[in-house]
Amino acid sequence: MVAQDLLIQTIQLPLPLAVLLIGGLAMPILGLLAERAALGRLREAWMFIVAASAIGSVWLLYQQLREEPGRVLVVTLWGQRPPLGGCFEIDTLGVFMSGSVAFLGFLAVLYSFKYMERESRLTEYYTLVLLMMAGMTGVAMAGDFLTLFIFWELMSLSSYVLVAFLKSRWGPIEAGFKYLIMSATAGAFLLLSMSFLYGMTGTLNFAQLAASLQGAVVTPWMLVIFSSLIIGFGVKSAIVPLHTWLPDAHPEAPSPISALLSGIVIETGLYGLTRVLYLLFDPGFFQPSIAALAVLTMTLANIMALLQQDIKRLLAYSSIAQIGYMLVGVSAGTAYGVMGTFLHVFNHSLLKGLAFLAVGSIVHQAGTRDIQSLRGVGRMMPFTSFALFVALLGLGGVPATNGFISKFILFNSAIGAGMPLLTLIGVLNSAFSMAYYLLVMKTFISKPEGEGLKMGEAPALMVAVTVAMAALIVFFGLYPQPVIRYAAKASRGLVEGLSTYIEAMLP
Amino acid sequence: MAPLMPFLVSVALLLAIGLVCLMVKRDMVRLLIGVEILFNAANLNFIALSMQTSGFVDPFAHSVVMMVIVLDGCVIAVGLAMALNVYRHYGTLDIRKLRRLRW
Repeated sequence: MVAQDLLIQTIQLPLPLAVLLIGGLAMPILGLLAERAALGRLREAWMFIVAASAIGSVWLLYQQLREEPGRVLVVTLWGQRPPLGGCFEIDTLGVFMSGSVAFLGFLAVLYSFKYMERESRLTEYYTLVLLMMAGMTGVAMAGDFLTLFIFWELMSLSSYVLVAFLKSRWGPIEAGFKYLIMSATAGAFLLLSMSFLYGMTGTLNFAQLAASLQGAVVTPWMLVIFSSLIIGFGVKSAIVPLHTWLPDAHPEAPSPISALLSGIVIETGLYGLTRVLYLLFDPGFFQPSIAALAVLTMTLANIMALLQQDIKRLLAYSSIAQIGYMLVGVSAGTAYGVMGTFLHVFNHSLLKGLAFLAVGSIVHQAGTRDIQSLRGVGRMMPFTSFALFVALLGLGGVPATNGFISKFILFNSAIGAGMPLLTLIGVLNSAFSMAYYLLVMKTFISKPEGEGLKMGEAPALMVAVTVAMAALIVFFGLYPQPVIRYAAKASRGLVEGLSTYIEAMLP
Repeated sequence: MAPLMPFLVSVALLLAIGLVCLMVKRDMVRLLIGVEILFNAANLNFIALSMQTSGFVDPFAHSVVMMVIVLDGCVIAVGLAMALNVYRHYGTLDIRKLRRLRW
């Protein structure tokens, strides 16, 4: 324990962040070595080490915080005193989010070893993946708005380039530019809300902001701040009027990147929104507007998903619908609802990550993304298709998968918050969404027409990753208690333990 | 203490100019300039408000603005790289020619 504290004091960064940043910065040098000296698999070995030690360091943080429940770890940068300089404030929720990032990142990295084998510019690809993971971890751990914004932009910049990575085709270029313009505009609005908050309180530190804004009278400036925050975080998390970049950007990215983007990047946006809203405002203030956005998001996304012919676009719209379900929990305003939200963030990272990885294997083998021309794929790629079906059933919320558990908690929390109509709309949407999941499944297992497609199972490593994720989904569906307990602790820290959060920074 | 109102009015004007630029312009480089104007509106707001809080000019807001200038420079650089790729593919920078993505 002493050695560990010493390590944190020396690096001056939270451990997972230090691992990912150093790993990302060392990657170009190692990539150069691998190319010049022909050291075959050096890059892959380094990626494996970095991604695995990111999980390990999150585990260390988890152990450190578990000893004293409700403890908040403050890491300051280069000896500045917390309220003035930038700092990291790690509570249980931050560890929960960075755990999800490290976990899905590890699986996506394993999968890319085989999937990206034939692409050139692999050094850049792996560097950007590590920097994107570092950005998300930083957002999850930030203790003030400036730190959050810097890591936010690190994450966004890496994801712009990764979406446009396959630049020899037209799709990624168009999608990447659209994504960049919309997301950079959102960044400007986030900065605008930061400047107004700074003007009202004279600080950007989360704890000081919370201490001085809790219980404040709602002025027109608060409404300006609230709406710029919704625009700023909402574009990244694809809340419906601001979602139009997502169905273009997610399908055009390479499949492991689609899994990361859909599984965890948009949830990082939602995490930022939830944390800032609960820190700055009274739940009664934002409940109605978030509930309205939730209804709009899930209904529109489900209807649009039904109309898609392209399997990856269908999954992208399904991601937007899942964001709508998560917003239901945020709008409930209770610790129970927020627990549902973050449980669904974790479960959705597994489900949607698996769905995109399995579809990636299928697209990799078949060379087309059109659902009708993929008829009969399930007979040729049994393992991958089985994993995909588990993920689709989980996304629809079938019992015995982990998607059921978190959706149940989410819709239940809306009843507890006195919004039965929201629950009704949510359940109807969830049932409606089964229509397009079942359509995909039916097409994949029916008999191919004419000569059809001829192809075999995907490479062993890709199959192994997808099947392992499917097993995890069923495991967490049958034995959800540990994750539920941890998510409950995390959300209580956010909603009810605000004073602990403030006291850790301002003793 | 300098009066705040002229600054707030110019921030609002810059925001409006940036948003209109994003909506009506069709050249990709001009879209990126629109994003830059939006960032600068927020930066100006920071600088204007730094004089209001504590009776002296708060250096914190200035350091934030320094960081943000670097960050949005990076974003614009990536955007220009993408515009270059578009030009190589399509031979034009007109955003309306990029119509192959469906909704």
